[in-house]
Amino acid sequence: MGAAESRAAAVADAAPTGQLAAADAAPARRRVVSPFNPANAVTASRFLCLPPFAWAVDNGYHQWATLFIFICGWLDKVDGLVARVFDCRSAFGELFDAITDGICYGFALILLAAYGWAPALPVALIIGLGLLNSGMRGVYVRRAGRAVNYKSYAMERIVGYTGYLVGFATAQFEVTFYYWLFVPLMTIILVHDTKRMLIDPIPPAPAPEGAR
Amino acid sequence: MTAELVSPTVFAWIVTFLTGVVAGAWFVYDIINLIRARRADGSDPLVSDRRFGYMVGLVIGIGGVLGCLRFHDVM
Repeated sequence: MGAAESRAAAVADAAPTGQLAAADAAPARRRVVSPFNPANAVTASRFLCLPPFAWAVDNGYHQWATLFIFICGWLDKVDGLVARVFDCRSAFGELFDAITDGICYGFALILLAAYGWAPALPVALIIGLGLLNSGMRGVYVRRAGRAVNYKSYAMERIVGYTGYLVGFATAQFEVTFYYWLFVPLMTIILVHDTKRMLIDPIPPAPAPEGAR
Repeated sequence: MTAELVSPTVFAWIVTFLTGVVAGAWFVYDIINLIRARRADGSDPLVSDRRFGYMVGLVIGIGGVLGCLRFHDVM
């Protein structure tokens, strides 16, 4: 995919997962960016939502818990915007964003299942599928022989859904329906992405700046 | 600090709004994306990836709206 085409695709998708899409938006303009940049600071600040979230769950405050996880999800959108505004998109930021998603939502789901706010079986399946997906991405990086993130449009959408899953449990909003809808959907996406990551040929690395 | 921020009824409607509106908008957004992508070469794996992602978006959008309707006993 060419730089302009990729940028246009990212704009058309309105950056559904923050820095994930933002970093993919301009592969032709890769440059060295410090990991200590405003976008990564916003990403890191998402971890600050977890202690008050745990406090709210522990005290049975459903609305406060919903508010804290909403702020966590909102910051995920803000970091992509900050990355574009300050032009500090980087491969590290992309990876950091994905890891933060996994830690924040994974922690929240496990906590909610432990307190009986979310059904344990779908939560266990979701966590398992998430770990499997992370493993596949590791294999993809090894196959590619370079630091590359497999861009999955479907997975970007399901990550957004994961944030909502936490909110559905804290709000006790059709929990069983939304959790059991999620599991087969993520399974199908994982099967699709596994084929793409493990079997299909890997696209060549984008040409370095100046080579175009 | 109070245990609740708003009344349970208001809270339920806020969650309904945040879910239903976003899911509905997501459905419309991805259906437009899917229509735009129909002319692209389907044999290109990146194009098929994109189409698959849009279809997943449609399912999520429909699911989101259905959940809201179920919560309010509309269906």
